[in-house]
Amino acid sequence: MSVSHEPTAEPGNELWVDGADWETVTDAIEDDTLTVNMGPQHPSTHGVLRLVLELDGETVLKVTPIVGYLHTGIEKNAEYRTWVQGSTFVTRMDYVAPLFNEWVYCMGVERLLDIEVPERAQAVRVIMSEFNRISSHLVWLATGGMELGATTVMTNGFGAREHILDLFESQSGLRMNHAYFRPGGLAQDVTDDFVERCESLLEYLPKKIQELEDLLTKNAIFQDRFIGIGVLTAEDALGFGVTGPLLRAAGVPHDLRKSQPYSGYEQYEFDVPTETAGDSYARYLVRVAEMYESLRIIRQALDTLPGGDVMVADKKIRWPSQQALGPDGIGNDPDYIRHIMGESMESLINHFKLVTQGFTVPAGQVYTAVESPRGELGCALTSNGTNKPYRVHVRDPSFVGLQAVDHQSRGHGISDVIVVVASLDPIMGGVDR
Amino acid sequence: MGLESKLPNGILLTNLEKFVNYGRSTSMWPATFGLACCAIEMMAAGGPRHDLARFGMEVFRASPRQADLMIVAGRLSNKMAPVLRRIYDQMSDPKWVISMGVCATSGGMFNNYALVQGVDHVVPVDMYVPGCPPRPEMLMDGILKLHAKVRGEEFADKTARS
Amino acid sequence: MSDNTPLSGRVGTDVPAPGHGTDGESLTIEQLREQLTGRFGDLDHDVHRGELTAFVAPEQLLDVLAFCRDELSCELLSDLSAVHWPAGDHVIERQVSTTGWPEYRVSRDQGVIEVSYIVRSVRRNHVLRVSVATPDDAASLPSATSLYPTANFHEREVYDLFGVEFTGHPNLIRILMPDDWLGHPQRKDYPLGGVDVEYVGDKFIPPPHERNLREVVE
Repeated sequence: MSVSHEPTAEPGNELWVDGADWETVTDAIEDDTLTVNMGPQHPSTHGVLRLVLELDGETVLKVTPIVGYLHTGIEKNAEYRTWVQGSTFVTRMDYVAPLFNEWVYCMGVERLLDIEVPERAQAVRVIMSEFNRISSHLVWLATGGMELGATTVMTNGFGAREHILDLFESQSGLRMNHAYFRPGGLAQDVTDDFVERCESLLEYLPKKIQELEDLLTKNAIFQDRFIGIGVLTAEDALGFGVTGPLLRAAGVPHDLRKSQPYSGYEQYEFDVPTETAGDSYARYLVRVAEMYESLRIIRQALDTLPGGDVMVADKKIRWPSQQALGPDGIGNDPDYIRHIMGESMESLINHFKLVTQGFTVPAGQVYTAVESPRGELGCALTSNGTNKPYRVHVRDPSFVGLQAVDHQSRGHGISDVIVVVASLDPIMGGVDR
Repeated sequence: MGLESKLPNGILLTNLEKFVNYGRSTSMWPATFGLACCAIEMMAAGGPRHDLARFGMEVFRASPRQADLMIVAGRLSNKMAPVLRRIYDQMSDPKWVISMGVCATSGGMFNNYALVQGVDHVVPVDMYVPGCPPRPEMLMDGILKLHAKVRGEEFADKTARS
Repeated sequence: MSDNTPLSGRVGTDVPAPGHGTDGESLTIEQLREQLTGRFGDLDHDVHRGELTAFVAPEQLLDVLAFCRDELSCELLSDLSAVHWPAGDHVIERQVSTTGWPEYRVSRDQGVIEVSYIVRSVRRNHVLRVSVATPDDAASLPSATSLYPTANFHEREVYDLFGVEFTGHPNLIRILMPDDWLGHPQRKDYPLGGVDVEYVGDKFIPPPHERNLREVVE
């Protein structure tokens, strides 16, 4: 039970230790920290996030997130496309909640154009986006559970999400990255069975969310791994620019749907779930409560769904063709085609110009923000008066939130870093754009 | 696989090749290489509705050394390209690559400075699955076609790689 | 938050309503403008589409941001983004036939990079934009990380994509592009890049926005 050689920290020296004298060894090497690289290809870093951990044994001293592995140049690419096409580009940033990206971009364009979206379009936007919020939180729960090893949560979460994706597919044609919200309203009106589909979802989802809650909320392992991990106080959160469920879990009831309402949110009654602990468990509770609040909002929006058009009436902005169901599928309404080809040259020119060049937006700068499942999603748009955006910048909450990972993980273990990143819910498409 | 390279091609080996290929195709283990939106659809393909486990691909191995299929799901940026190549090199033979989605196949809608215009600039691809993102059923169709392709392979196809 | 009542499990109380704050009164655009001009004299400002923008010089930037954070209670820096307005002559094509707006030329002697700081007050529920311009051939601004730690990643992004140097930033390195990348991609004089899509039997014509740039790049 003794050390055979004098322990030194020089490389190449062998240290013979029997166990009981570990302290003598650690004294000599106490300045050594271990640098470990996690990612960018890693099963539990939520996409291509690279984390460089500085460890003292198993305790994390510093976390450096390195991003940019998914940088797609979407913002620059949008400058070479028309305003309507921008919706298709922007939707691929935060790909788990794509409708929110489209929403904030379209709100920015509409504010620059100074037009008012019809009420039916506003209500449908709210309904679809709240369903998207639920599906985004389900993906968060599913992947978060999978990272902890709770694979049942993964299968149940994705199974429940499929039903929501069925709704999206029936309305917009796509399960993900739907370019459904267009500047001025929606791409097309909802189908005749929209209300029934939503009703059946509203019956189905509370049970599934309850199932997931039953699996996790009182689960001792889940609580051990989540309670007390990654505490972020309200002041720190605001300093780091973190909003959304993390800020609400720290005690600040800040929700853009309440404080700066948009798209008709002022007419709906819903609560803003808040917790005080500021740790990962509190964020879990906030997100689950938010799912139930979303169901409430959808219920109200569905009950008060107004009729009317889903696209602004201005002929200079509105997408010119009307879709109709013909014998060979959905296409341009034959009456409309007869009108532009035979009757009205101006309509034909208008159609042509709007489809090829797109509408023009007055010069100016705006910043619009919505409450996405991750926090404040903002869009800073600059127009120079042409048919293409001059600058599109999207302020993504995941990008900003990654700065807080270092602060939250200090002093925890390596596996807690996974929990911290999971509770932040970053989506790398939004981080890197 | 050293033994394979010593054996001659020929009719005598047909049954052995069939047997080996059957084994390879029905228990291909994918390596997780989800990059962007297609990764979510890939996870949905492994989910309960479109169940990929039916085809022997339940286990998504985290370590490339234990996997034989790499599904490159999503847009490959210039910064990520060396990482992709490294993961591909770490996989041991026999290995196959599916490029899922148009961004992986050809750069997709993002023809710009930031993306590699098709992962076949970096790794050899066996099956291209277009779509933005491809439905899970489309991905499964691509996987099944790859299985059919694997069943038609001869030993020489796989031993010639370095 | 000066409210001392315990918040545990609190649902829906003290939630800010539009036009009101939870802790302090919300300032209207007029009041914000008055406070800013009261403190900083004749500050250039603009109100467009219901948003107040204050244009400041680079020397005043940190003072204005500190004023927003302390006096106007803007605890949250929502966004920090940049727009490049290059020098030279540019024709703004605004489709005369469909809009009725005249075509015009814009000419700038000095290109600028305009950096916008969107500061939001969470507890008083108002938001404004502070905009500062820096010349694009020697773009440099003081870093806001000492006032708002969240500016860290944002400033790295603006440096990476536009080339603006933020003095006083703790770690100003590239964030989105690879570390050895040359050039700043979101500047207007940087091409979009990508590959030329060619069709069989076609003559290649570069897209209009790159007809001047192809020589530069190749």
